[in-house]
Amino acid sequence: MIFHPGIIALFLGSAVVVLMLLYISLLSVRVLRYWDIRSSSELQLSLERKTYLTSTIMNYILGYQIVSALLFIYTVDSLHTEFVGAMCATGVLNANPVGWYVLYLKVLNLLLSGLWIGINILDQRSPEYPLTRLKSALVLILLPLIAAEGYLEVRYFLGLDPAVITSCCGSMFSAQGKGLASSLTAIPVKKAEAGFALVWTLFFISGTLSLKYKVSSFKYVFSIISVLAFVVSLASVVSFISLYFYELPTHHCPFDILQADFNYVGYPLYISLFLCTITSMLTGIYEALRRKVERKDVVDRLQRKTTLSGLVFGLLFLIISLWPMVFSSFTLQGY
Amino acid sequence: MNSDILISVQKVSKCFNRGRPNEIWPVREASLYVKKGEVVVLKGPSGSGKTTLLGLIGCMSRPTSGRIILKGQDVAKLPERFLTEIRRKTFGFIFQQFNLIKGISVRENILLPLYPTGMSFGQMSERVEELMETLSLSHRAGFPVEILSGGEQQRVAIARALINNPDILMADEPTAHLDSKLSMNLLETLGLLKSRGMTIVIATHDPLVFETEMVDRVYEVRDGRVRER
Amino acid sequence: MIKHLKILEFALSSLLRRKLKNLAIVSVFTTVTMVIASILFLTHSFKKEALLILQGSPELIVQRIQAGRHALIPLSYVDAIKGLPGVGDVRPRYWGYYYDPLTGANFTVIAYPEGIRKTEIIEGSLPGANEHGYCLIGSGVADARFLQIGDELFLQDIKGRVLSLKVRGIFKKSSQILTNDLVIISRPDFDRLFGFPEGHATDLTVQVYNPTEIQNIAGKVKKLLPDTRPITRSEILRTYDSLFNWRGGMLLALFASSVLAFVILAWDKATGLSAEERQEIGILKAIGWETSDVLTLKFWEGASISLISFLTGIILAYIHVFYFSAVLFEPALKGWSVLFPDFRLRPYVDLYQCFVLFMVTVVPYTASTIIPSWKAAITDPDSVMRG
Ligand SMILES: Nc1ncnc2c1ncn2[C@@H]1O[C@H](COP(=O)(O)OP(=O)(O)OP(=O)(O)O)[C@@H](O)[C@H]1O
Ligand SMILES: [Mg+2]
Repeated sequence: MIFHPGIIALFLGSAVVVLMLLYISLLSVRVLRYWDIRSSSELQLSLERKTYLTSTIMNYILGYQIVSALLFIYTVDSLHTEFVGAMCATGVLNANPVGWYVLYLKVLNLLLSGLWIGINILDQRSPEYPLTRLKSALVLILLPLIAAEGYLEVRYFLGLDPAVITSCCGSMFSAQGKGLASSLTAIPVKKAEAGFALVWTLFFISGTLSLKYKVSSFKYVFSIISVLAFVVSLASVVSFISLYFYELPTHHCPFDILQADFNYVGYPLYISLFLCTITSMLTGIYEALRRKVERKDVVDRLQRKTTLSGLVFGLLFLIISLWPMVFSSFTLQGY
Repeated sequence: MNSDILISVQKVSKCFNRGRPNEIWPVREASLYVKKGEVVVLKGPSGSGKTTLLGLIGCMSRPTSGRIILKGQDVAKLPERFLTEIRRKTFGFIFQQFNLIKGISVRENILLPLYPTGMSFGQMSERVEELMETLSLSHRAGFPVEILSGGEQQRVAIARALINNPDILMADEPTAHLDSKLSMNLLETLGLLKSRGMTIVIATHDPLVFETEMVDRVYEVRDGRVRER
Repeated sequence: MIKHLKILEFALSSLLRRKLKNLAIVSVFTTVTMVIASILFLTHSFKKEALLILQGSPELIVQRIQAGRHALIPLSYVDAIKGLPGVGDVRPRYWGYYYDPLTGANFTVIAYPEGIRKTEIIEGSLPGANEHGYCLIGSGVADARFLQIGDELFLQDIKGRVLSLKVRGIFKKSSQILTNDLVIISRPDFDRLFGFPEGHATDLTVQVYNPTEIQNIAGKVKKLLPDTRPITRSEILRTYDSLFNWRGGMLLALFASSVLAFVILAWDKATGLSAEERQEIGILKAIGWETSDVLTLKFWEGASISLISFLTGIILAYIHVFYFSAVLFEPALKGWSVLFPDFRLRPYVDLYQCFVLFMVTVVPYTASTIIPSWKAAITDPDSVMRG
């Protein structure tokens, strides 16, 4: 199984990224120990320069995370012909359940790298480097997570045994089965739709409020709701959004929408959801960091940007996901 | 203190290679000030620390100790990113060498400092055409800089220093590579700039420069120490 | 935005100013990309072709095994298998290989299956159900024997007599992989040619109503008739798939070593900043460029190099594989030529392969340039102030 080109590529990428992350983690330890913004010693100067290296590498890591998440899904998907019972990525992930953890970690790491970049932007706009220690600490948190992702990825692919007969989305995302996926599917469509509508309504209300008023709690609420919206939306994709794309009342797979048969609609769908979540979460995070930063106007300006982009990307996500519901003749009435 | 003081340097020292055998202090406890619209000269023999001092005043590097107050703000401790921003807005530099980038045109060389500012294309080209006009470089706009004469290269360097509309022009040995006729031309140009309200700081050991009448004040630099004359 | 445009413009002009050096790196990068892309495209197309062939094959085939070898299967098995619940139609197939001493080639001879219909892959006319003395041939056979529609194909039957068959149709070249060596004749002619024993067939195809039952039924067949070997289509698919993945992966792994060499070269190129470049970056820093601006510059330089090499590499690989049938890989591909006759591969390229390619070329290259770029970017702005 190791000699699949996609798997080799993933291993190679992980190795490169973990090495780079290891390098900046060492830098981060030094920053945590010796950082002193008031000193003009050469040590401090060299640390300040190293922060540029850290940001550069983190930017690249974010880019890598995006590519690797896509490549992972793609590779897993392309392996489905090798497993009896697998028809798409779901079946191949089921063939060795470690795969699901790899996927969850990839999502988490993608979100965290995005947030790191957001925090970095605020830090870079403030003359006193107020968040450098925080950023270094975050790098040290990210290292084990990304390393674990790489390790589990290796475990997953090496542990894939073509003799295993797996179950695919047909049975996994079916109302009769057991587990999280099935319980998501089993939620009556009406209830799921209501929940979806509720979070997104709250999302837009709290977003507009935090744009208009300088009230801390609005911003926190907005961020928390955005996380909620992220989770509910992913569940809704499984529960009912995907059905409209497939025009099948029983096909709940969250991966098939990434395929050419459905015009790759999954990409803009997931990408807009991720961007919406990251930017909206940043609004709250910036609020929490506000007291650390001297230039409050910088915080205000950035918050405005993140809130606005959160709303725009949220809207984009809604448009994409609701499009087929509104414009296709397929209905779920009676299911 | 007087409100038209633009820069005030207070007991500034700069050390290189601190703690190592080759430790050196090219600037020691230097104090000076520059008022708006003045032409100030830093005069001293080779190796006395003029260039280093000019770099400190012009936010090129951070002092080891002391304070530098620029328009009321202490810039001595600012991180590089903000120092650069201030430098970009406030100073124009003419270096001891011309320091032009070979292989690209006169126009591009002049425009280089504006690239990271995100200024619009229209504004950029308007600015550069005007400057090339005043420094009579227009007929050379598309030429690669390395085929220009020394005097022309010097004017390109001046144009590049002025492209960002600086408050203060810093010139390090501006006459070092010019013959006396070109030096006189240069001084004329500087005089013109002064008459338009530009503040100018010149580091030099060329008597031709510090004996012209436009010079308001001369500081003597010796072994890193500064004395007003 | 304007800032990035201007910096990109400057990056491009910087690259052009150091033509030779950058041309060297681009050509190495392009070559690496081209070779890896060729490997990927080639394996992927083979895989796709094989899948296409198999897609049309029956879900379950039952062969008889005797002394560990494929043997003729008695027709009495047909009814035995039909008796299993869930089994639909069971049909005997009659086919065999004919060694042609004239050309030294092996033909695949199939007795005319009634199911054949006029399709666009064949030129000529189809025979009726009870006709004989005709044949339909693949273009490979036609070329080997210089035959056209209406000519006679002479074969030697098992007793040494000549069997003359009128060519009624020739398969088109576009279906070459499937039909290259094919000779389709009638049952009576087939029996005469091979002297097939009465009441036997080459193998049986089994129709299964419920696709999820296939494995199950294969098991039951094996139990009922222990001397048979049931082969499911998905088994074949999987074997093919892993074979091709394995081959492609092997080549890729082998090639990784050259990638490494390339990365080292890139590292060397990027670290070994020439005095002139160092001076330039010093000037930029001195005239108001900030560290992150220089990093942006370096990013655009790297991105341009990567993009140009990546795209050129892909295009060259495309031409190499799909127009020149991967000539450069001839020696390495010997194993495949048995499976596939000389033909031009149909292009199958998708986003996925580009992702893989990106991951194994651009990612390592970029990683190798980060630290050198940063080293360049932190040049002291006052470094150019002193002569
Ligand atoms: N980065 C550095 N590292 C080590 N020593 C330095 C550095 N920069 C300057 N110096 C030393 O500091 C001293 C003063 O140098 P500086 O260039 O300021 O003199 P200067 O007055 O401009 O001389 P000149 O008239 O020749 O240009 C010199 O001895 C020089 O070697
Ligand atoms: Mg000097």
